[in-house]
Amino acid sequence: MTRPPLLGQFVTELRAGWAIAKKDMVIYYVRPNIIVTGLLFPLFMFLAFSVGNTQSPGAEIPGLLAITILFSASSIMPVSVPIERRTKTFDRLLSAPVSLNALVFGESMSGFLFSLAIAIVPFFAGLLIFNTPVNHAVALVIGFALSSFVVASLGTLFAAYPTESPGDVMSMLNVVRLPMMFISGVFIPLASIPEPWHAIIYFSPLTYGYDLIQSSYSGTTHIDPVLDVIMLLVFIAIFQVLAIRLYKRSSV
Amino acid sequence: MKHLSKSFGEIRALSDVSFEVSEGEAFGFLGPNGAGKTTTIRVLTGISPPTEGEAKVFGLDVVRETIAARRTMGIVAETSNAYDDLSGWRNMMFSAELYGVSRSTREKRAQELLELFGLWERRDDKARTYSKGMKRRLTIAMGLVNDPRLLFLDEPTSGLDVQSNLIIRDVIRDLNSQKVTVFLTTHNIEEANLSCDRVAIINKGRIAAIDSPERLKGTIQSVQSVEVAFESSSAATIDSLRTLAKVSEVRKEGDKFRLFTDDPPTVIEAVYSLAGAKGTRIVSLNTYGPSLEDVFIKLTGLEKHAKGVSTVD
Repeated sequence: MTRPPLLGQFVTELRAGWAIAKKDMVIYYVRPNIIVTGLLFPLFMFLAFSVGNTQSPGAEIPGLLAITILFSASSIMPVSVPIERRTKTFDRLLSAPVSLNALVFGESMSGFLFSLAIAIVPFFAGLLIFNTPVNHAVALVIGFALSSFVVASLGTLFAAYPTESPGDVMSMLNVVRLPMMFISGVFIPLASIPEPWHAIIYFSPLTYGYDLIQSSYSGTTHIDPVLDVIMLLVFIAIFQVLAIRLYKRSSV
Repeated sequence: MKHLSKSFGEIRALSDVSFEVSEGEAFGFLGPNGAGKTTTIRVLTGISPPTEGEAKVFGLDVVRETIAARRTMGIVAETSNAYDDLSGWRNMMFSAELYGVSRSTREKRAQELLELFGLWERRDDKARTYSKGMKRRLTIAMGLVNDPRLLFLDEPTSGLDVQSNLIIRDVIRDLNSQKVTVFLTTHNIEEANLSCDRVAIINKGRIAAIDSPERLKGTIQSVQSVEVAFESSSAATIDSLRTLAKVSEVRKEGDKFRLFTDDPPTVIEAVYSLAGAKGTRIVSLNTYGPSLEDVFIKLTGLEKHAKGVSTVD
């Protein structure tokens, strides 16, 4: 059956994006620096802030999930893109018959899938070891998926910086990523953030993602869940569009 | 390409470049470093938009119809940019997927190409274990996986072993016979001379000449030469040769002397007379027409040293 041209192009772009994501999975998922950044860093960061906390370990699971997403979903592209610029394999992607939309989508997808694979660990730890039941599975799935993709898109956006050194991108990304942990309710409850700083929390996409994830466990939200979803979609759109523009500019 | 220009800020990389390449033609693109060769390829492949003018590939505008135009192309970059951490086979599959080649076609095509390039036995090994020549062959195979109508080849044989060189040259010849258009940039002027139907020489962002290699050579008959080797010669021999009529330049090349002239018969007579006067015999004597390298040097204004061109991109 012949597809209409637009649909055909869309399917081709999706396939190309998937091919890029698969390539990243094979090459980058098992690199030591990716493992450290995506798995060990969030774990030790979490332990540093939660050890000694009076809450039960199970109550910390939403926070651990959010930090895992934040560090794992954004850890692939800042490494893969600069390395591929250095080895000139990135030119292969830029000159292929796929749009920058597919390229940015594919790169984001690899971060997204990486965070899915990593976050299974704290999720099952909560479920099986700390007896932390999920009350709203739909909210968890949506919160988890959108948070992962928005953070992966953020990583793809920062990787557009025209450098051949992963360290350059990681340094810039950490300037945004580390403060996000503290203004998104993960360590400090949103209600406890003092008023002059309160407005900042709404500029962090993780605020909305964490709100959905923790609501799936606790049943209470700080923000309307519908607004959480809308804001996460808005952030995804902004990061994807900005990334496409920056990759276009840097390739010229 | 029609009246195509490309600027990067104040720097004008291409100025009013116009040329056409016919379908099935092998077209060579020569020029010194920074002449605009890479910029031209980046424009033609839709990576970098032109500042002025237009570029079309098989009637498809590379700016407005970039994706469709790229589907007709295979692009082999100067750097062998296969993925080191993927096997030869996975590299081929990834390249085919990027070009939207269906699974059954890509597997068949990948096998054909890996066999053609002598890589089939090593298909499951990671590209990082390949030699430089093997990696180059893999990169070219990846550029052909979508069965392109136009192949961009950037320095395909630069610095390779003899086996890889021969395989790649055979493949270029085969592609040409199958009516695939080949756009070749090369350091190796003799390679362009042997492989290309036409050659363009670009210098400082402008096309300096464009024609078949033989016609280009015909434009500079003043650089014909006579090569002579004497049974015995001394340091003074070169000075004696320089005094001969109609000789514009003399160069010592190993045990031979090369005399540049626009009148080889007169120079040959004078060389025989000189040998007689010096009491020596001529061991060998050959005449040469201008080479494509001579054309290149003349048009680009490059210095020619004793062993050829000083800097050529």
